[in-house]
Amino acid sequence: MSTVGNSTNIFWQESPVGKLERQKLLNQKGCVVWITGLSGSGKSTLACSLSRELYTRGKLSYILDGDNLRHGLNKDLGFKADDRTENIRRVGEVAKLFADAGLICIASLISPYRKDRDACRAMLPDANFVEVFMNMPLELCEARDSKGLYKLARAGKIKGFTGIDDPYEPPLKCEIEIQQKDGDCPTPGAMAGEVVSYLEEKGYLQDH
Amino acid sequence: MATNGKATNIVWHKSSVGKLHRQELLQQKGCVIWITGLSGSGKSTLACALCQALYSRGKLTYILDGDNVRHGLNRDLSFKAEDRAENIRRIGEVAKLFADAGLICIASVISPYRRDRDACRTLLPEGDFIEVFMDVPLQICESRDPKGLYKLARAGKIKGFTGIDDPYEPPLNCELVLPQKGNNYASPCEMAETVISFLEEKGFLQA
Repeated sequence: MSTVGNSTNIFWQESPVGKLERQKLLNQKGCVVWITGLSGSGKSTLACSLSRELYTRGKLSYILDGDNLRHGLNKDLGFKADDRTENIRRVGEVAKLFADAGLICIASLISPYRKDRDACRAMLPDANFVEVFMNMPLELCEARDSKGLYKLARAGKIKGFTGIDDPYEPPLKCEIEIQQKDGDCPTPGAMAGEVVSYLEEKGYLQDH
Repeated sequence: MATNGKATNIVWHKSSVGKLHRQELLQQKGCVIWITGLSGSGKSTLACALCQALYSRGKLTYILDGDNVRHGLNRDLSFKAEDRAENIRRIGEVAKLFADAGLICIASVISPYRRDRDACRTLLPEGDFIEVFMDVPLQICESRDPKGLYKLARAGKIKGFTGIDDPYEPPLNCELVLPQKGNNYASPCEMAETVISFLEEKGFLQA
């Protein structure tokens, strides 16, 4: 019997079919690809093209998109700092479950605070956490303003908007950094290719 | 732009790889098998047997066990009524994601309150939520007492323990009741096969 957080008398239930068996079935290794960056930096775009690239290679992935999750699991959370932290924590825990299930779980969230992203990294065993930083300048993201949010934020209609009046803390040491080259953004296909190469190199696209 | 619950300015992002693609890849249809019942009624045992039997048929499953989820995602929740409701809500939402991902997601949770289970049912497309009631009398569960919890509850050392001093509301209209009538001594494997026959009949074991 153990005391876990707020619950007592919780036991760990073992299953005969574990991560290794699922990996064998899927011919891949579960992991979390955590895509972080400002609003409009291209996270969801990369998530979609990555998912497609993986599918064409017969690999199973699933996208946990910050916006989509806020429609369901995280519908009770807002954008205050502690709600953002709880949002990230829950996404991290769910991503961990998906990785354990053998999937390549693509989490696509602003996730602006370094401490929260690092906490998610710590949740994953065996370094199965691949942090991808969409390092696009604020000016570019704002010029895109794909959801019209920067305009609202500048007009003071949204408070605490990341990049305008709430901080974004870039990763200090991430696995992949996506940047402009000579002022040009890489295409979604090129970005996905870079992540797939990394996953291949690290052995995630096969079962050992 | 949608105003949704506590968060405003949320846009729904479509993904180009969808549920149908994943079904094709896995050669199965995602769903949620929600196993409910008293502590000691055999939920985890059935979940494991089912998982094993489906694996041997080449099907991908994942178990969301109430206890296990309380180690991670739901570690901030207690057993007070409102926390039980939130525990079930979150497990329902996560199970929905797994089903969308194409997996046969087996949720194994006491989930004592009817309203909370029914709320999870509404999260999924019709037919994709398969409620399995472990209909085992309290006396039998208590005599098993696999985790020693009934003993503690009877001694007053645990408060609000389901079946002792907190209610269990059985389903009124679930897909499967186990063990089946007249088969009180069905083994976990036999019960797993009953679930599998149901899944097969409903088309979940093919794309």
